[in-house]
This record gives sequence, C-alpha cells and structure tokens, in this order.
Amino acid sequence: MTSAAASLAMLERRQQVLANNLANVNTSGFKREMVFAQLVGDAVSATGTRVDLSEGTISQSTNPLDLAIEGEGFFVIGTENGERHVRGGNFHLDPEGRIVDNSGNPLLGEQGELMVPPKGTGALSIDGTGMVSADGRELGRLRVERIAANANPLHEGGVRFVPDVSREPVPPMERRVKQGFVEESNVNPMEAMTQMLEVLHRFGAAQKTISTLDAVRGIAVNDLGKPV
Amino acid sequence: MDPALRAAATGMMAQQTRTQVIANNLANVNTPGFKRSRAQFEDLLYQTVQGTQVLGTTDAFTNPAIQVGRGTRLAAVQRMHMQGAIDQTGRNLDVAIEGEGFFQVQMNNGDVAYTRDGSFGISDQGLLTTSNGAGLMPSVRIPDDASEITISPTGIVTVRRGNEIEPSEVGRLELARFVNPSGMLSLGQNLYAPTASSGMPSIGFPTEEGMGRLQQGSLEASNVEIVQEMVEMITAMRAYEINSKAIKTSDEMGQIANNLTR
Repeated sequence: MTSAAASLAMLERRQQVLANNLANVNTSGFKREMVFAQLVGDAVSATGTRVDLSEGTISQSTNPLDLAIEGEGFFVIGTENGERHVRGGNFHLDPEGRIVDNSGNPLLGEQGELMVPPKGTGALSIDGTGMVSADGRELGRLRVERIAANANPLHEGGVRFVPDVSREPVPPMERRVKQGFVEESNVNPMEAMTQMLEVLHRFGAAQKTISTLDAVRGIAVNDLGKPV
Repeated sequence: MDPALRAAATGMMAQQTRTQVIANNLANVNTPGFKRSRAQFEDLLYQTVQGTQVLGTTDAFTNPAIQVGRGTRLAAVQRMHMQGAIDQTGRNLDVAIEGEGFFQVQMNNGDVAYTRDGSFGISDQGLLTTSNGAGLMPSVRIPDDASEITISPTGIVTVRRGNEIEPSEVGRLELARFVNPSGMLSLGQNLYAPTASSGMPSIGFPTEEGMGRLQQGSLEASNVEIVQEMVEMITAMRAYEINSKAIKTSDEMGQIANNLTR
C-alpha cells in the first residue's frame, strides 16, 4: 500500500512539471523539464527533474537585439545572484547603453558589460562568433559558454539557468551566434499531452490498487474475526 | 491550490494576451507604416522541492534536484520592424521609406515623434505635414505658386514655381534611425517615441549612412501578413486548449485522490 501511495505522489509531481512545460509552450528559450523516478526500496518515487537541453526551433524575427545560438552554448548574463546562463532571447538597451534582458540584467562580454555609445550609433551587428560591432567599430565579443553533456543545470525562472561547475568558454570558431533570430520553446505539446494522459491513467490505477488493498484488509479485519 | 492548476492557468492567461496582440495586428492590416507586434513570455520562478542529494561517497552518486516550475508570464510585447510591402499610389505626396529610418514629426506639445507613414499633406501655412496634421522636421515650405512637387530618393524636395521652367529646391527631408527600433514606444496614430531601450536617434539624409531611400508616389503597407497571424492565432488557440486540458487532468487527479476514502 505504501508503494501505491508513493507512486501517487510521484505522478502528482509529474503532472505539476508537465503543466509548467505546457504553460511555457510559447516561451522563447524555454527548455522542458523531465521527471525521473526510481525504485527506492519497494516504492517508486520522484528522484529528480532534469532539464532537456535539446534545441528548439530557431525562427527569424529580424530584430537586431534578438539573439539565439545554433547548437550548444549559452550567453552569460550578470544578475544580483551571480552569473546566469541564457540560451538567447530578446535583448534591448538600457539608459546607460548596456545590452540587457527583459529583467534588466546585462549581457556580459569577454571584457565585462558591453556599452553601446548612446548617441549616434546607427546599426548594431553581432556576427557568428559573438563579436558586437556598432557601425563597423568593434565593441567586444560576447561570452558564450557550454556545460558538460551530463551536467544538470538548475532552472531559475526568466529562462535563466544556474551554471554548472563544468562550464567552459566555447572557442570563437565553434560558435554559431545568430542575430535577428529567437529560439522557440522545445516543448512538444503532442508529447506532453500523451504523457499527461498516461499520468492520469496510472494515477487511476494506483488509486484502484489502494482501494483494492483496502478492501482486502477490510475483509481480513471484519470478516475473518466474525463468530461463525 | 495545486501548483499544476496554477501553472496551467498562467499558460491560459499568456495565450489570451497573445491573442489580443494578434487581434491588434489583424486590425491594422491596412494601416500604412504599421509594424506588427509579438508577445514574448518567460517562465516563472522555480520551486526546488528537494535539493541535489549526494548518495555515495563520490559525486558520481548524486540524485539531481527536483524542481517544479510555476508557469509563465508576459515579459514583453515587441514590435517587429520588418519592411512592409511598397504600394504604388500615384499620389505625389505619398512617400515610402525603402530600408531603415523614420520621418521626424513635430507634435503639438513640442516633442519629436517618429513615423514610417509617409502619406503627407500640406498645411494652411504651406508646410509639409503628416496625415494627422503634425509638421515634418526639418520643416519644408511649399510656396503658394508651386506646382509639380517632386521628392527625390535622397530626400530633396523640388517644385516648379509659377511659370518658371527650371525646378527650384525648397528643402530636404531627413531620416532618423535607431539602434533598437523595437524598443520604441508606440504613441498611436502611427507615431513612435524614442526610449532608453531604443537608443538616441542618429539623423541623416536618405540613402546616406545606411538610411533607406525614399520613393515618391508609394506608401509602405503594414507588415502584417494575414496568413502568418492566422497561423499564430491557431497555435494560440491550441495552446490555450492544451492548458485547459492540463487543468482538467489535474482536477481529475484530485477527484481520484478524493475517491481514496469512500
């Protein structure tokens, strides 16, 4: 009976994670979460969530400050809680001329924050290696880092990830930074939907197991002891 | 309340906002110089239900943390400054910008606003104005006895005065461009104001320093494409539906759990 109860708890956790994935089906740069369950003793329980870092569709937006990375790698942004990884997104300029994300966190270059001269800059271009130039004048190269294939970065919200210890810079030649593109969410609604159905049916099955076991015990307690 | 229910509800709200943005785009499918918008979302904070656990003596035996997300939120509504189609109108005061740049407009309160809508008119003082009567900057005066107004691709405005045969130059149009045009604030009436996010304007003559060229007798159509908006609307509706299914599933699970005790 405890194992059936543990599986109910695990399925509930899965449903919560699936609901969050589905809510973020249109969040650009979002990576879906997966729940892993493991047998602990006789019971199956949720032992961890993992971020699926597979690439989402890259779509064109033509905005000069929409950035995406084809293949592996993350941009580095500075937040109050330290450096964070993002897969890209739509950036803009703040009053000081820094390139910032939607929450105002600056995008970091190899020499720290990048300052775009606020007056008189016409066009900002970012090439495949992450070199930012304003009207042909180089301002600095963006930091692009990768993490080990088996690393599990933590989600922080705002499509930010907490970097893993295995982080290392990607050499400029191996980068494929795309300006004017955004990476869509990698949630597949069809797959999430079928998983949700599966969760529902298994939840029902686990509940049936509990009520059957309860009925068996009920018979044991009430009927066995009956004077004949 | 079940976090799954709340996450799915934020997903439904997000799709609703997206539909509002799409509806506004579709309403402006025939507005000259209109630029379509797109709603951008980001995920909410995560709850770490259980941190990373080290099971063995080495780090190799660890369980990853259990993180549960709380849904999505609207991060920004971004304008997409893509070039719209150039429509021939034949009217000599219709000017389209092919390429980058905005016309500068002096508003009634003295502020400068920017527009891509080049359906100009002439005010009672002979000044070139936008269709809603705001004067262009720098101001261009068309003399009373002028005929045959021509605007060159580089912005030079010439007219033929009285019975003169040689046309005379009466002014030159300037354009302004921005590092991040999608950061501009929409004022309505096809006007935009610069913000810190868009950067300060850099001003120049058309066709110079990366500015677009002008085309007289044409207007830039709205860059809204009906088919694209329709596809967006369908995906928004399906995503709305799928989030409602997540709510229904969570609800059914609650019901099943309630049935544990009879």
